[in-house]
Amino acid sequence: MVNSRAIMFLIAVAILVAALLVIAAYSLRRARRSSKRDWESLLKRLTAVNRGSIAEVALDIIDESGRQRKDEAGAMLDPAQIWKLVGGLEGLEVLEANCAVLIDLAFYVQQWYPEALAVAEQLRLSAREVEWHVERLRGAQRTGKLESAFAMYAQRAVATYYLMTRRVLALYEQGNLAMLADLEKAL
Amino acid sequence: MHLTGLDLLLWAAGLGVHLILLFVLLMRRRFRVFPIFTAFIVSNIGRTAALFFVQLRGTRTSYFYTYWSLIVLDVALQLAVVYEMYSLTFRPLGEWARDLRRPFEWLVAVSIALAAGMTWLAAPHARLWVQVVVIKGSFFSAACMSELFVGMLVLAVRSGLPLKTHVARISQGFGVYSIIDILIEAGHSYFGVGHNTQTYTMLSHLRMSAYLVCAAYWIVMLWRNAPEPRKLPESLRGELIQLQNVVNSDLERIRVRQ
Repeated sequence: MVNSRAIMFLIAVAILVAALLVIAAYSLRRARRSSKRDWESLLKRLTAVNRGSIAEVALDIIDESGRQRKDEAGAMLDPAQIWKLVGGLEGLEVLEANCAVLIDLAFYVQQWYPEALAVAEQLRLSAREVEWHVERLRGAQRTGKLESAFAMYAQRAVATYYLMTRRVLALYEQGNLAMLADLEKAL
Repeated sequence: MHLTGLDLLLWAAGLGVHLILLFVLLMRRRFRVFPIFTAFIVSNIGRTAALFFVQLRGTRTSYFYTYWSLIVLDVALQLAVVYEMYSLTFRPLGEWARDLRRPFEWLVAVSIALAAGMTWLAAPHARLWVQVVVIKGSFFSAACMSELFVGMLVLAVRSGLPLKTHVARISQGFGVYSIIDILIEAGHSYFGVGHNTQTYTMLSHLRMSAYLVCAAYWIVMLWRNAPEPRKLPESLRGELIQLQNVVNSDLERIRVRQ
């Protein structure tokens, strides 16, 4: 005899299997897409950001070489100014998307150049750390605690992103000049 | 114990497929990369041979105990294969990637909790308590394995760590088989084992056929070579090292301010 517990069990199994299939199909599609990308197409995915604003936020706490500023003119921006310059949540989402490109770049290197594994893995971890800063800010924004979190994470995240993208640009500049103009716009 | 022609055919096919797979693992030197997976295949061959011998010469009780002792070993080795696949993917530099420790702990905890919850919900009809344990145990194992393999795929994609070709193929085979197995074990639980074991046996044949297809897939995929890695241009190597050194020192500075 079919009882309600057996029906519940079958429904739960159906939901679990459907969820596993959808998640697996989505992840496989993403993995296939990542493995087909080449160096150029990866860099093309970088989204344009307001370079001036990002630089202003970053250079408030670091100098061009990446050293922490200790002069009196440093660390002058308040959270509201930083939020405005970054472009609010949308601006943060762009930073997050661009970090994802850096992670894909590390994926590309690990996949095709296993001998460069150590460097690619370190680059991936660094990009993940930037992502973490941005995720914390987005979480704080959702819970209405953005103001207090901003002072803690935003400027560090932007500064790290700024330095990282400068290095990627320099790297690309040495390797392939043809796309440099497009890249400079994006970064 | 009476065996039908189909039982014997599936038994022989299982042994044959595992022997071919072992040959491929040895011939292509894959056993060096996948020692646990190779041990799993060897144990399957040993299990088939031992059970056949016990079935011919032993009693019903001796067959029962041999079968269940070997099933415990089989589940332990399957979990060890999961560990091997995770280790080959998430330890790119010989230690677990530090950004994945927490998601990994969550994945294991959620997988076990979900599988345990669903196993608790299952209420198979059976004449003996041991049959209930068997059906529930098999369902729990299938649910856990499928969740762990799908979870592995999700973690790899999210973190940007590539699954190496043969790791991906072994995991896909296990993942698909485990998902089919969930449905079959759910069928076992739903229909139960009464006096008429026809449905139970039919579902078991279906599971064995699905496993044979999976093993055949492994044979083909493990015979093929992975794509050749490309030679890293010197310029790119230098640029990557330079990039990472700078990014690392930037991060150190920023971490200090936290």
